[in-house]
Amino acid sequence: MKPLLHILFALLLATLQAAALRWLGGGSFSLMLPVACIVYLAIHAGNVEGTVGAAGVGYVLDHSLGTTKGLMTFLAVSVFVAVRALNAAVDVRGRLGFAALTATATLVMSISAALLVQMAAPLEVAPGLRLVPRMLLEALLTGVLSPAVLLGMKRIDGLFRREEPGLLR
Amino acid sequence: MLQLLKRYRELILVVVLLLVPLGVFFARSKRPVERSAVDRAVVWLTAPLERGIAFCVTGAFRTWTRYLALHGAADRAAAMGRELNLLQMERQQLLQERAEAERLRRLLGFVQSSPSRTYVGARVVGVQLGPVGLQSLLIDRGEDDGVSRLRPVVTADGVVGRVHSATAHSAEVLVLTDRNSAVAVRADRTRARADVRGLGKPGACKLEYALKAEDVVEGDLLVTAGTDGVFPRGIPVGKVSDLRKAGNGLFHDALVTPAVDVTRVEEVLVITSMEQPEEEVVPAATALPRKKP
Repeated sequence: MKPLLHILFALLLATLQAAALRWLGGGSFSLMLPVACIVYLAIHAGNVEGTVGAAGVGYVLDHSLGTTKGLMTFLAVSVFVAVRALNAAVDVRGRLGFAALTATATLVMSISAALLVQMAAPLEVAPGLRLVPRMLLEALLTGVLSPAVLLGMKRIDGLFRREEPGLLR
Repeated sequence: MLQLLKRYRELILVVVLLLVPLGVFFARSKRPVERSAVDRAVVWLTAPLERGIAFCVTGAFRTWTRYLALHGAADRAAAMGRELNLLQMERQQLLQERAEAERLRRLLGFVQSSPSRTYVGARVVGVQLGPVGLQSLLIDRGEDDGVSRLRPVVTADGVVGRVHSATAHSAEVLVLTDRNSAVAVRADRTRARADVRGLGKPGACKLEYALKAEDVVEGDLLVTAGTDGVFPRGIPVGKVSDLRKAGNGLFHDALVTPAVDVTRVEEVLVITSMEQPEEEVVPAATALPRKKP
């Protein structure tokens, strides 16, 4: 149930993001807010639910970005694994750390997607390195807005928290 | 085997969730992106939400631009209305000044075309063109400026009249259309002689003493002959109109449309001195004292 809610939240984020970008700049810049969900899952969720949730969020990204099916799903799970590994080594706490991690993950996903498309797709449809500044801006903006996503994900997790009687906090 | 799967199930799940999408991606990457049934379902699910957001954003913008942002609009409109009035007045003034500058430029061109004469520029400050009495204009230059009786008054378009009386700082000009006003003219085309006399109303004069034997047709330009001792030669007086050749008598019966519409004159030139034509005989009674320019 929880991964499904995470995926639906990611879908909601993608929808809001698309509607907001329509009014803010009309597409002159872009966002990848669902990546913040993947980072959150990598830090806070369990292995199974996190992996499933990340794959679902990746599918949402595939859908919202219009990429070839499987690309963002694969990258979402990859980022999930990478962030989880990083989180095991470095304790990421606070909004600032979350934002930095989200921005980095967004940039990595964008560049990886571009490289994979260059490998697999015909050359004329593959995005080139000219898009790197745009990717940087996208990562930066996504990182800036990610604390809001963090709050939303925490709220969803709060729905599933059980109070254990007699437990002192 | 089952225990092995159970033991590594998380790892297997991760690997499966990595490899399956990657395989799907590489399998589909050469084909154009198509929307699956799931995609269409997602779009169907999210489209109303996007429409709702768009509706809210549009509504918020409209509320802001059409209601909230109009706070103080009435004051701004009033201020702009005042400013518009001022600008319109200013524009009107500028248009008048431009028209005046154009008239003065034409007068200057007229003056420069006849350097043998001297002129005094004057503004029309009063008008008396009623049917009773003299038809005259009052100008703001008088004897102190060299203006004296019988001086010709012209514009760049032609003859206005002659000075009827002068004081120190003003003068009365008897216009061409007054009944008492007569000018010796020639038809510019054929050099036929005649006189032009006023009819007592603005806009029309009478052609007098134009012999029927002379070649005069409607539309002929009449210019001053220079034989009356008042006007120098060659200044336009008017055009022949309503010419009637039938009937008895020695002379043409015709009207003359004056070259200058005296009802619209604002600035005039008073000719204060001029060279007399050599071939013309000036009547002693109307001869003017000659002034050196």
